Amino acid sequence: MILALLIACAQTPTPAASPAAPAAAPAATPVAIADPVGVPQVLAAPVAGTAFPAPATPLHTPPLAEGDGKDKVAAYCSVCHATTYITMQPPLPPEKWKAEVEKMVNAYGAQVPEAERAPIIAYLSAHYGPDRR
Amino acid sequence: MERRRFVGILGLGGLAGAVLMRRSAASDTPPATPSDTPPAAPPAAPPESATVLGGEPPAFTGPGPNLWWSSVGPYVAHPQKLPLIQLTDRPVQLETPRAYFAQAITPTAAFFVRWHLPNLPDVDLASYRLRVQGAVEHPLTLSMAEVLALPAMEVTAVNQCSGNSRSRFQPRVAGGQWGNGACGCATWRGVSLRALLERAGVRPTAVQVQLHGMDTGNGPEGKGSHAYAKSLDLAGDALDHAVLAYAMNGEPLPALHGFPLRLVVPGYFSTYWVKAVGAIDVLEQPDDGFWMKTAYRLPDTPNGGTTPAEAATVATKPIGTMPVRSLLANPDGQTKLLAGCPVTLRGVAFSGRGAITRVQWSVDEGATWNTAALGADLGPFAFRTFEASWTPPHGGTFVIAIRAHDASGAEQTDDPLWNGGGYGWNRIERQTVVVADAGGAA
Repeated sequence: MILALLIACAQTPTPAASPAAPAAAPAATPVAIADPVGVPQVLAAPVAGTAFPAPATPLHTPPLAEGDGKDKVAAYCSVCHATTYITMQPPLPPEKWKAEVEKMVNAYGAQVPEAERAPIIAYLSAHYGPDRR
Repeated sequence: MERRRFVGILGLGGLAGAVLMRRSAASDTPPATPSDTPPAAPPAAPPESATVLGGEPPAFTGPGPNLWWSSVGPYVAHPQKLPLIQLTDRPVQLETPRAYFAQAITPTAAFFVRWHLPNLPDVDLASYRLRVQGAVEHPLTLSMAEVLALPAMEVTAVNQCSGNSRSRFQPRVAGGQWGNGACGCATWRGVSLRALLERAGVRPTAVQVQLHGMDTGNGPEGKGSHAYAKSLDLAGDALDHAVLAYAMNGEPLPALHGFPLRLVVPGYFSTYWVKAVGAIDVLEQPDDGFWMKTAYRLPDTPNGGTTPAEAATVATKPIGTMPVRSLLANPDGQTKLLAGCPVTLRGVAFSGRGAITRVQWSVDEGATWNTAALGADLGPFAFRTFEASWTPPHGGTFVIAIRAHDASGAEQTDDPLWNGGGYGWNRIERQTVVVADAGGAA
């Protein structure tokens, strides 16, 4: 039955833009959530057709510690992932934070200019190492 | 003190929109560490200095092992999901709470979620095509309707993140700091990957099949931060039961689980279970992309372990099947048990290397092991539930240990395990419980 529905969906032509589905679909970018169950109301009324937009998922990113280098970390690291990836970590010694930054640059291709790497490593080591956690 | 750590943030939670449900204490008493003598009382909570009252809840554990059963993030509700424990919000990583591990099938709404890249695809089935290409005689371009019309198969299988329980490792390693809940078991329905490849006609020169997810990241092309792809050997057993699934527990795959199609590789860790599959490439050379050549590799040692000193030089291989392990859901140590009053030990056992043959439990530090009753057999790749009734003989502190065995002859042990990726944890889990005396005569 469900599969039949999916097949039916697959055979339905793409509908023209509907008034209930504004061109700037809220699903495209994460949005602040103001609904108690966590799903934006607009998604509660999906439009029929073949399109399954990516869902909007709630963001909850704990604040980074205040300190020199915070802005650089927020700017460069947030390109690919929320800084929750940092605040989640156990206390890591400076050499581990250095290895993580190098992994992001070399293995993942993070575009961090060379001069910015040392301040980023220093910030992470100062605030997310064994001395402060 | 536990409550105090979390009470301060309630006000903020309301302001933030109430999608976050604060955990009133980390929900259960931490288990004893396998190698330690059980403490007379549960280990002390993290120091108060780790908490900012009126600010955020503790977001991390360490530098010792995480002593809680789960990770310590907040509960967050996502589309089509029950509130789950958040590890990260972008990309999304959510952990299944402990209580769901007393049943063989994990509800889809409670199933853990782990994406590597932040941008889930917009899928339009009018234009979506599954492509099978590369070293094949007849490249395929299939609409979703055509995929649904192919012969279907079903398998019940455990999906477990390679890094499940990473927060147990000592010394701690960077990565998603999962507790034990980065796994689940579902019934998956779809088409056989092997049959699909046979339709396309794999050339004899082919060695691997590579699956590409349609999710994208913001990093540069050619890097692991841009796209996700994983490969399986055509020789060997990985493809024997592999299903390109469109349904999970009898319903279409939710977006967070890889709509419209995801790979299911029974017995293998989740890293191969590529979500939102768009293209399948048959390769004549082994995949040398980041997600195979650099990531998700284990030391090439019997148990996948090494030492921090040798980690940089040890030979490695792509991670593969899951070793045997078991999870105790109940009792969770949250409340006192009562001397003379039975309690039912409940949980699940699973292995990627052979069906579960036996689950044992001990309450005397392994001096004696008792055999638990096994629940329904949903196949060799599924969770096997177990239960046993235990009547605490007297008041005091007890440590419950659970040990599973599989058909390959493997069993869980207390042997140390460490590797740089934090992969493949399967040591015996223990739960400290406190038993109260029933009191004397009136």
